[in-house]
Amino acid sequence: MQFVWPSVEASIRNAQNRDGGWGYRGGASWTEPTAYAMLALAAVDERGESYQRGLAWLERGRRGDGGWAPNPSVDASTWVTALAVLVLEDRPGAAALPSACGWLLKQSGRESGYFQRFRDWLLGMSQEENVSYSGWPWYPGTASWVTPTALSVLALEKGGRGGADPGRRARIESGRRFLMARMCSDGGWNLGVTRAWGYSQDSSPETTGQALLALAGFQEQRLERSLGCAEGHLHTCRSAEGRSWLEMALLAHGRSPSGFPKDAPPLRSLADRALWVVAEAAARGKNVFLS
Amino acid sequence: MPAISRRRLLLGAAGAWALTGCSRRPAALPQVSITLAPAYTQDLYGSLRRILSEHKLEVRGQRVVLKPNLVEYDSATPINTHPLLVHAALEAFSALGAAEVRIAEGPGIRRGTLELAEAAGYFDTIPGFERIFTDLNLDDTSPVHLAKPASRLESLYLPHTVLGADLVVSMPKMKTHHWAAATLGMKNLFGVVPGGIYGWPKNVLHWAGIDGSIADLHRVFSRTFTIVDGIVGMEGNGPIQGRPKAAGAIVAGRDMVAVDATCCRIMGIDPEMVEYLKLEETQGQTREQGVRQIGEQLGRVRTDFELLPAFSGFRLRRS
Repeated sequence: MQFVWPSVEASIRNAQNRDGGWGYRGGASWTEPTAYAMLALAAVDERGESYQRGLAWLERGRRGDGGWAPNPSVDASTWVTALAVLVLEDRPGAAALPSACGWLLKQSGRESGYFQRFRDWLLGMSQEENVSYSGWPWYPGTASWVTPTALSVLALEKGGRGGADPGRRARIESGRRFLMARMCSDGGWNLGVTRAWGYSQDSSPETTGQALLALAGFQEQRLERSLGCAEGHLHTCRSAEGRSWLEMALLAHGRSPSGFPKDAPPLRSLADRALWVVAEAAARGKNVFLS
Repeated sequence: MPAISRRRLLLGAAGAWALTGCSRRPAALPQVSITLAPAYTQDLYGSLRRILSEHKLEVRGQRVVLKPNLVEYDSATPINTHPLLVHAALEAFSALGAAEVRIAEGPGIRRGTLELAEAAGYFDTIPGFERIFTDLNLDDTSPVHLAKPASRLESLYLPHTVLGADLVVSMPKMKTHHWAAATLGMKNLFGVVPGGIYGWPKNVLHWAGIDGSIADLHRVFSRTFTIVDGIVGMEGNGPIQGRPKAAGAIVAGRDMVAVDATCCRIMGIDPEMVEYLKLEETQGQTREQGVRQIGEQLGRVRTDFELLPAFSGFRLRRS
């Protein structure tokens, strides 16, 4: 992996809005890019003024139900709560953490609920996907998908260092089973659809990396095929975000960085730059999604 | 994201809200043009100028947003609107004196919009593409109340770039669709719903009802123009896994229902079977007699697209 931190540090700092948050490509502050920028700063132990202002923006964004909205204009807590938890868990004792984890634990995909499954059964609607396991949705009231499930598993796992709450462990296990059930035939993952109208669906780089990272430490033989798929994606992937997730995932499963491509793809967005830095730190032994 | 004043945004959103509840009663039959285009060549630049001239579009000093269909990239099959057609439209609208022409899209599956656009040839074909492109998945948004929704939605957060546009130009690929039968101008509006809020895919639309959601989005945007890339479309298991199907035509018009219905007839799909078209039909546009069709005769470009078995009953009988 090409080491880029010194050159992107200034660009991440310069992209910070006056309110302390970050936008995707300029513009108003959103929770997702703010969380990635802060994880990047934390990955290189930069917890100075920029980090503190980001933290203040994030803490101001906490909603009454314990979750976070994608940006302050949105009136709903969503999947980005998992990212906020990942940031806040670097601060032991953060007051917002219990309610944020509690919000995450209450979320599940609509398709796996008893009512929905009973309704589908009554209507004779066949499911092409296994809906036995409960993952996490992007937006409340919708189905589970790979990315929010992977990030929620990572958030709850990272926050579980201090204890072994059985409810939390059960949801983590269910989330991982969900991911295994949504593995594509090539061993990787796409957004969460393995078959549509009888046709197998292909995997994609970002989601393969995210799912594999969330499955670090999970024991199942099929993951060997997934690692091969991830390595294949890594050598053809055009996106920095995809490359970063794949490299973090492979490292988490004990694969050596010596086989990774060396050149950096274009770092077009803040998420590209931040995740690249996080992956660089992971290659040096510090993965802020896990540790 | 382009600068947008609060006043302009509020006016746009209020206008969209107000028009949501209005019935549309154009005085004359909606005009739809069919233009022969056998291949993606430089001829498209002249063709697009003629098409805009035929439809007498007035865009001088206005902000135009071109909304192509970018979904996924596969070198073996034409999933996305061809970048040459988008560039030809950009040049044509600029030549008409538009103050600004932007390209904007929010893919529903892949998060890496720019990488997808690059793979689909947009960077190579359109000079300065990154500068004039907005990723609608990540654009700043405002809530839009849906006055009389056809779906279970009550409101949607929508991107400033499209809410602030004077004209939204839907530029879909002519494709079959495994849930909606066909994906054309109206279904292409799914791409304006921000993934940054609703995720990838925009699953909230599926739970609210696909046909109703398509109709609701159509009602939000009161001033639209549609240019359908039917030069090489997709048949079978669209919108991603189907096979290439050449129709050799560009279909265009101001009335999205009329344009989509005309495309359905070209594809051999009965538009009266397509639920979202029926929801939005106001003056019989799904019938051939309900459209003032100009340019090439429909019968000369009709080429039946293969349909999935679930849609076998949608086949349009030949007259």
